[in-house]
Amino acid sequence: MSSRRRNLNALVLSGVAAAMLGVSFWSPTLYRLFCQGTGYEGTPKTENVVHSTQTSAAQVTVRFDANVNSALPWRFQPAQREVHLRLGEETLIHYTAANLSDQPITGTATFNVVPDKAGVYFSKLECFCFTEQTLAPGQEVSMPVVFYVDPGLAEDPTTRDVSTITLSYTFYRPDIEPKQPDNTAAIAGTRAVQAGG
Amino acid sequence: MAYGAAAAHDEHEHHPTGWKRWVYSTNHKDIGTMYIVLSMIAALVGGLMSWYIRLELADPGLQFIHDTQFYNVLVTAHGFIMVFFVVMPAMIGGFGNWFVPLMIGAPDMAFPRMNNISFWLTAAGFVLLILSALVGDGPGTGWTVYPPLSSIAYHPGPSVDFGILALHVAGAGSILGAINFIVTIFNMRAPGMTMHRMPLFVWSILVTAFLLLLALPVLAGALTMLLTDRNFGTHFYEVAGGGDPLLWQHLFWFFGHPEVYIIILPAFGIISQIVSTFSKKPIFGYLGMAYAMMAIGVVGFVVWAHHMFTTGIGVNTRAYFTVATLIIAVPTGIKIFSWLATMWGGSIDFKAPMLYAMGFIWLFVLGGVTGVVLANAGIDLSFHDTYYVVAHFHYVMAIAAIFAMFGAWYYWIGKMSGRQYPEGLAKLQFWVFFVGVNVLFFPQHFLGLAGMPRRIPDYPDVYAGWNMVSSIGAAITMVGTLMFFYVVFHTLMAGKKAAANPWGAGATTLEWTVPSPAPFHTHEEMPVIGGGGHAHGGHGQVKPAE
Repeated sequence: MSSRRRNLNALVLSGVAAAMLGVSFWSPTLYRLFCQGTGYEGTPKTENVVHSTQTSAAQVTVRFDANVNSALPWRFQPAQREVHLRLGEETLIHYTAANLSDQPITGTATFNVVPDKAGVYFSKLECFCFTEQTLAPGQEVSMPVVFYVDPGLAEDPTTRDVSTITLSYTFYRPDIEPKQPDNTAAIAGTRAVQAGG
Repeated sequence: MAYGAAAAHDEHEHHPTGWKRWVYSTNHKDIGTMYIVLSMIAALVGGLMSWYIRLELADPGLQFIHDTQFYNVLVTAHGFIMVFFVVMPAMIGGFGNWFVPLMIGAPDMAFPRMNNISFWLTAAGFVLLILSALVGDGPGTGWTVYPPLSSIAYHPGPSVDFGILALHVAGAGSILGAINFIVTIFNMRAPGMTMHRMPLFVWSILVTAFLLLLALPVLAGALTMLLTDRNFGTHFYEVAGGGDPLLWQHLFWFFGHPEVYIIILPAFGIISQIVSTFSKKPIFGYLGMAYAMMAIGVVGFVVWAHHMFTTGIGVNTRAYFTVATLIIAVPTGIKIFSWLATMWGGSIDFKAPMLYAMGFIWLFVLGGVTGVVLANAGIDLSFHDTYYVVAHFHYVMAIAAIFAMFGAWYYWIGKMSGRQYPEGLAKLQFWVFFVGVNVLFFPQHFLGLAGMPRRIPDYPDVYAGWNMVSSIGAAITMVGTLMFFYVVFHTLMAGKKAAANPWGAGATTLEWTVPSPAPFHTHEEMPVIGGGGHAHGGHGQVKPAE
């Protein structure tokens, strides 16, 4: 029962605790990757999305919702309230955004769909939300989104009842600076979250 | 406790006296005693809060608490105090510190100074938590601290930050304590005390320590992110900044579900010791009991989302978490039936600790049955956040844990203080407390089935009847609690001197081979267990544990 072995064990166990702490800080990134991969929590498909090859006769209604964080002096709204489309049909819709302030501002948008379970079948081919958007003072732009709803929606027993999907965006300023400059680790973590939403 | 006598036994020892003996203590028994005293103080504070809550809830309308934020603060503080500063300090820090080294034949914990800092971090955490309720509006977040309610927008004052720091500090203390227990149990067992001969209480503390080590850092990480969200402009949990409040729920419950096993596993260990002692039989299915605890610990990490059935998770996910949760009933059932099988055919001695052990089994089975009900996602959609859940978790972990703590106190107080408790008064205290908690919590099942929501200080008249019954139960429980404190006082002041082993042939573990009260230093010469060796103190051969 040497004290060396005791110390070694204590060191290993401290390592385990430190590793769990590390994983918990890594979890925002893991969580985002998991949601993107599986469509959980209504996360639409945005990566490795191919153009749809087949369409089905089944129809679905897609509604559009827009929100702006109060720190961002923008007006942001969908050009159309809703569209009716066939499953698999590629659709182009627009949002309009206007910078109401007198200086250029960069914004970026987070997004999801409701009901959550439809996320895995909602595929975005092009979206303004994939990149940061910078608007000049007073500038108004039209922001396109190209998407389709996978025909699998009608075949999956858990989503067969879905006839309406709501796509929602929230614009926010990605450049809000933390109050304390020495908080770099947390900031880096935040950036990672913000990059993907 | 009555340590004057203990110190006199070994006057040749050099150890600090007076306040330094306690503040600088590196002795596992003294530190254990301090944990138990801290737990008793915290229990009075947390208990008074719950009685005030029941007083308000006795009648519909707002009679005593007009500031509903204050009601939320009471509910929050009650939960935090009971979980982190009553049950955990008493069972792990208190009885664990006292009896793990005694039971495995070790002279002390592996890292005595770390043991000291563990205790004082816990005590500091308690002070911070009390401060959090006293500054600003107080934290009205519930013990789950869900954002966005806990965000800077809805709790702008410093009280939530105080609460976060309280949990950080207490959590750090618990992690250090967990490392200490694991190293002690792995490296400091006496010759012959193999892992498979360890008393089940030691097993329970070992599994609990691993759960603490794996779960608490996750809480610390989640809390740190909440702290930076609140104070440094990050957006881990804020949708408007690209975060997600559900991330908090996942992280919290990844910690929170193992946490309820951290609370109840040491209770399992205590109940196993008591049932075996007073049935005068070794525990039935020793290995099954040990590995059932391990199984509960492992499965406890993969069931967290059963707290989140109503957050919109998919139906397949809900099916998985339902099934995984139901599986926990299997190792738990092994434990219940093994306790019953230990009692079966035994010559049962109905002393106060045994009454508490049997009371524990009753409460735990009842709470377990409602747990199986709630595990079903379809049913939980209706029962979520109703009083049915309140009744469930108070039965299965809160009151059950308190019963184990009372049982442990009666079981071991002779060893700790050298004085035996008054048996008649203790039995009376048991019956008052047992009737009290059942009258208090059983009607809450009916309230929950009728749809009464949690965490609301007012309710429609239709719920008035059972709420009044429940509050009467709280009053009876209060009498039982005050009786307990009288028993404590009476035992320490006027209790009869306890023999080294007051329980007779059923008590086979090593702590009964040392004198009562246990001397300041024990097992300095290692006892040899099993193969014909003799234990320290010359009380004859020590049988394999249990």
